Amino acid sequence: MSDATDPAPAPGTPPRADCVADSAGGITFDIAVVDAAEPVLVLRRRGGSAGPAPSGGPGPGPVPGGAPDEARLPLTPAGAGHLRAVLPGTVQLAEGRWDAYLGDRAVEPGVRDLRALVDRVPDERDGVRARVPYPTADGRLAVRSWVRRPHAEAGDIVLGEGVCTVEGTLYGARCAAGAVAEARLGGTVHRVPAGGEGGAFAFTVPYDLLAEPPVTSEQLWELWLRPDAGAEPVRVARVLDDVWDRKNVFVYPAHRGEGYGAAPCYTADNDLCVRLTP
Amino acid sequence: MHISFLLHNAYGIGGTIRTTFNLARTLAERHDVEIVSVFRHREEPTLGAPAGVTMKHLVDLRKNSPTYDGAHPDYKKPARVFPRGDGRWKQYSRLTDDRIAAHLKTLQADVVVGTRPGLNVHIARQARRGPVRVAQEHLTLDSHGYRLRREIGHRYALLDAITTVTEADARSYRTKLKLPGVRVDSVPNSVPAPVVEPADSTAKWVVAAGRLTRVKRYDLLVEAFAKVVAARPDWRLRIYGSGDATGNERNALLALIEARGLHNHVFLMGTANPLEPEWVKGSIAAVTSRLESFGMTIVEAMRCGLPVVSTDCPHGPREIIEDGVDGRLVPVGDVDAFADALLALIQDDDLRRRTGQAALAASQRFDPVRIAERHEALFAELVARGGGGRSRGRVRDALHRTRGVALDAAYSARYKAADLLRKGKSA
Repeated sequence: MSDATDPAPAPGTPPRADCVADSAGGITFDIAVVDAAEPVLVLRRRGGSAGPAPSGGPGPGPVPGGAPDEARLPLTPAGAGHLRAVLPGTVQLAEGRWDAYLGDRAVEPGVRDLRALVDRVPDERDGVRARVPYPTADGRLAVRSWVRRPHAEAGDIVLGEGVCTVEGTLYGARCAAGAVAEARLGGTVHRVPAGGEGGAFAFTVPYDLLAEPPVTSEQLWELWLRPDAGAEPVRVARVLDDVWDRKNVFVYPAHRGEGYGAAPCYTADNDLCVRLTP
Repeated sequence: MHISFLLHNAYGIGGTIRTTFNLARTLAERHDVEIVSVFRHREEPTLGAPAGVTMKHLVDLRKNSPTYDGAHPDYKKPARVFPRGDGRWKQYSRLTDDRIAAHLKTLQADVVVGTRPGLNVHIARQARRGPVRVAQEHLTLDSHGYRLRREIGHRYALLDAITTVTEADARSYRTKLKLPGVRVDSVPNSVPAPVVEPADSTAKWVVAAGRLTRVKRYDLLVEAFAKVVAARPDWRLRIYGSGDATGNERNALLALIEARGLHNHVFLMGTANPLEPEWVKGSIAAVTSRLESFGMTIVEAMRCGLPVVSTDCPHGPREIIEDGVDGRLVPVGDVDAFADALLALIQDDDLRRRTGQAALAASQRFDPVRIAERHEALFAELVARGGGGRSRGRVRDALHRTRGVALDAAYSARYKAADLLRKGKSA
């Protein structure tokens, strides 16, 4: 039994950031005033080198002076005992998961106002940049970044008898004659015709085409789109909202075929697949 | 005033914890407030410690703590004081009996506030003469089983006041139990102003939130939304909340979404904490429950500027929503009526905007400051009147306690008999 009074939040309490996302891809971070030696919010790409940019490396850093795997955002006083850092939509942030730090301390996620991301229609010409601040499984703040140029944004998925039809919008490309969608697994590629007017695209995948018997274990067929015969393939994904991991949220009915089950699904990276099961 | 709350577990997540924190934090601006948590299993409260409030605990369940109590021999022995009828009985023990008793017998406070029936019974039986005894009921009298109703009907006579969260429930306590001299007031739960800007009524999303359990009737919501989509395929529905351990309700809902072909329109989002930034992604909130002891989510959504379409179920919704003004009340279980109410708000942008603004204004009455003032007024009045049995009279108190001892003996004899019977059956 202890009657000890808990101390007020100690200096060692992790810093906590509230986030507001805007529709242009920018994020504002608000942090209660902390005793940071250096008032800088650092975003570090998971699995990145986080060291100085190697000469001749992959392009300039996200912020002058920063490495490609690190973005340093100055914190400035924003009134009411708060410091504010801004990640403008125009600043590059390579695709991946970026953990937030204040010095060497991880930042906790506060209130994330992401309403501007819901049903977002980007106005970029060559593709899509999407950033979603999210809480990691171990309770830290991170930013999921997608950079897709061009980008095939999946929308509604219409299910037919043994087929699924994917409808969506292309950014930075247009469907032309010879457009095809590809289902890929390892080195195997199956192609189906694709079409679409304006920025739209649509294609239908017959599950039988992918399910060469016997299906003995789970298979995840990635879906790609070639907007015209000579174009590089574009990964079909869904990133234009506030859902950083839609694997268990966007769930589609399964079809039962001859010796297999099939359903569209998203990966934890929001890429669209067709999942085959025995 | 020195106000002491007695809470089951201040370190978990739940409506009672949230409400107690809100109230304690607000009262702490003017009073000396502590929260005594019977259990503590982690360092920091999951919901964040309320500012200015002293936190204490009685039983330490942190595995690596030097004062860990989980290995105490009395921790495994069944509780005798904490009533069996309270759903948390299994978590209580001879150790909690003793620790709570020691706490209540030495408590230096003007007011002691219990936050669930089992703890209210502890307070009625064990609090020393002096502090005003207040029992908060976050559930409803109807929802308690026969055994618990019987026990509190007897024990609560030694309290100074009972507060319920709805007037409907207060009426039950006044009319169904014989508690002469015990004041019964209703004070609704409080909800703070959200830290995000209110919704602007333009998003084409309906939002619902709460655990995925049968009582929430999300099946009815999905059925109603099928009718909405038929008329307005541009609108979609998000349901926040996790299922229970079995996952049965989640799977049942997924099957229903599939059967109605709504996989592009209805999404089970999982849990979100806090909910405020999720409410404001929508323009209408939906509550299809067949029972709401209060209706916390209704107030939360209204404070975010959303009009709420709710079933007119017992007990809370009709005390929160003014039908047709700041939301809609729909008969329980009526899919068509629910769909019609949603569509009326979906089809009329101006009505939706006006109703949302009315909800924002009307829900200010649930602000923690205003709710705390009502509790504060009650506490102050009881303290002024002289708490701790002076109002009830020492003789009546003593009589009641003597009767209590006899009843205790009768109860424990009955429990022993019942236990023997059960053991006999399973052997």
